[in-house]
Amino acid sequence: METGRVTVERVGGKSTVTRSFSKYPLKFILPNKVGSAGTDAVWIYALTYGGGIVSVRCCFSYLTLYGDRISCEFFVGNGCTAVLTTQASTKVYKSLGSRCSEQLLEARIGSDALLVVIPDPVTCFSTARYAQKQVFRVVANSSSLLLVDWITSGRHESGEKWEFQLYKSTNQILLVDDDDRPLFVDSVLLEQGSISSIADRMLDYQVIAMIVILGPKLKNIQNQVQESVKRLMSDQLHMPYSGVRASSNHAKPNSSSAFNNKPQLVASCSPFGPKGVGVVVRIAATTTESVYKFLNHQLSGMESLIGVPPYR
Amino acid sequence: MDWSQWQLLDSILPTGGFAHSFGLEAAIQARIVSTPDELRTHLIHLLENTASLLLPFVHSATTNPSADNLRKLDALLDATLSNEVSRKASTSQGSALMRVAASVFTEIPSLKTTRDACLTSNFHFHHAPVFGLICGLLGMDPKTSQRGYLFITLRDSISAATRLNLVGPLGAAVLQHQVAAIAETILKQWADRPVEEACQTSPLLDTFQGFHSYLFSRLFCS
Repeated sequence: METGRVTVERVGGKSTVTRSFSKYPLKFILPNKVGSAGTDAVWIYALTYGGGIVSVRCCFSYLTLYGDRISCEFFVGNGCTAVLTTQASTKVYKSLGSRCSEQLLEARIGSDALLVVIPDPVTCFSTARYAQKQVFRVVANSSSLLLVDWITSGRHESGEKWEFQLYKSTNQILLVDDDDRPLFVDSVLLEQGSISSIADRMLDYQVIAMIVILGPKLKNIQNQVQESVKRLMSDQLHMPYSGVRASSNHAKPNSSSAFNNKPQLVASCSPFGPKGVGVVVRIAATTTESVYKFLNHQLSGMESLIGVPPYR
Repeated sequence: MDWSQWQLLDSILPTGGFAHSFGLEAAIQARIVSTPDELRTHLIHLLENTASLLLPFVHSATTNPSADNLRKLDALLDATLSNEVSRKASTSQGSALMRVAASVFTEIPSLKTTRDACLTSNFHFHHAPVFGLICGLLGMDPKTSQRGYLFITLRDSISAATRLNLVGPLGAAVLQHQVAAIAETILKQWADRPVEEACQTSPLLDTFQGFHSYLFSRLFCS
């Protein structure tokens, strides 16, 4: 059942919200002005009753207790720009029994249109169960999309690290002019109770993030990010000076110092799709703050398109 | 038929698996893996991720080894392997395996006709579905083909670990035997799933795998 829908179309040469629907406990806030006058972009926030301004995704946190299913639809018309964002992390509370809260976002991005999805991270509390699916239908070589999808280990400052029960995030980009042929499919499942715990699989990292950058409007951003991530990581990678086996046999203290030497933030970048139309960046870090900084730095070039730099 | 099935899993079959470390070389240079214990942990995570992400493709191709199904699986996997390093590793091993199988198992003419049909179209020859298809045509049951896929994944990454001097040859054999027991549990958990459920369970591996192209000097292709 649909809980919210926003349609953005071109009216008088500007991106304009022509239809907006939402129902309890979800409400959209559409501020008139975000950033400089020179940019043409619609910003969309959502409000939940009792929760202040939170995000389209934030609002779902309140429903988690009841294991509800929320579904939103966004339509970004030809030549329009829309931004979906949040002002606080999405908190997913403890689940009751085996119920799982679910969130479905479907977006259709028109020709020469741009959708920017820049939320704060999802934070799943101990024993929480959360699943989200985001489907973006795009026109090949014409629509543009910037998507950030990220999760933290929980309230890790107070020692709650990767203690939730289940987190599943699926992102699909489908080519609407080619019978919904998949261009990008990504599904991550973090679930307790398999051979290794989630914390085992995450080593000592507390945050994982993914950035997807697609389309002609973001070509420059793609190039900047690829160059910058490569530079950043090349400094972090080192050849072991001799065989690793030799060094670990030698002295015990070495192994613990090697552990401490793990990079605090790792990122890698890869083109996808025919002729590398898209770029995906995957990040793991030990602090949420360092990822905010990384996103702010890497995506600063978005300012000219959406009025303000993301994650300021 | 046993002879053909064993040959498919034999490391002497020239499919180029030994050119790949599946992210291990990058993980070593990023100081994620430095000790034999960390190697063991890395292998378990690699097997879990392979099982959750790729066994659905092996399963589908084994149970329905038709050219149509292979084409569908190949396109879906190409969109799923968004990491260029692992995508190229998958297509280079898959196309080598298909070429070898078409030349070796001549008693199965559909291998050659399927390969020829796919060569002309926009096809990538991703490894997991190609492996599953050959298993299916060789008459292997789906459980064995999925176990076989985990077997060669473990075999090739342990072989890479030996050549990266992380473990000696005897230690490697001991480790392979120990991890095999865990791999069987992983297989039970992830076998026979539909491709719609394919997912990554160790997303960090993908991040490390992506480093591979940043490495200044390297031994392996992935």
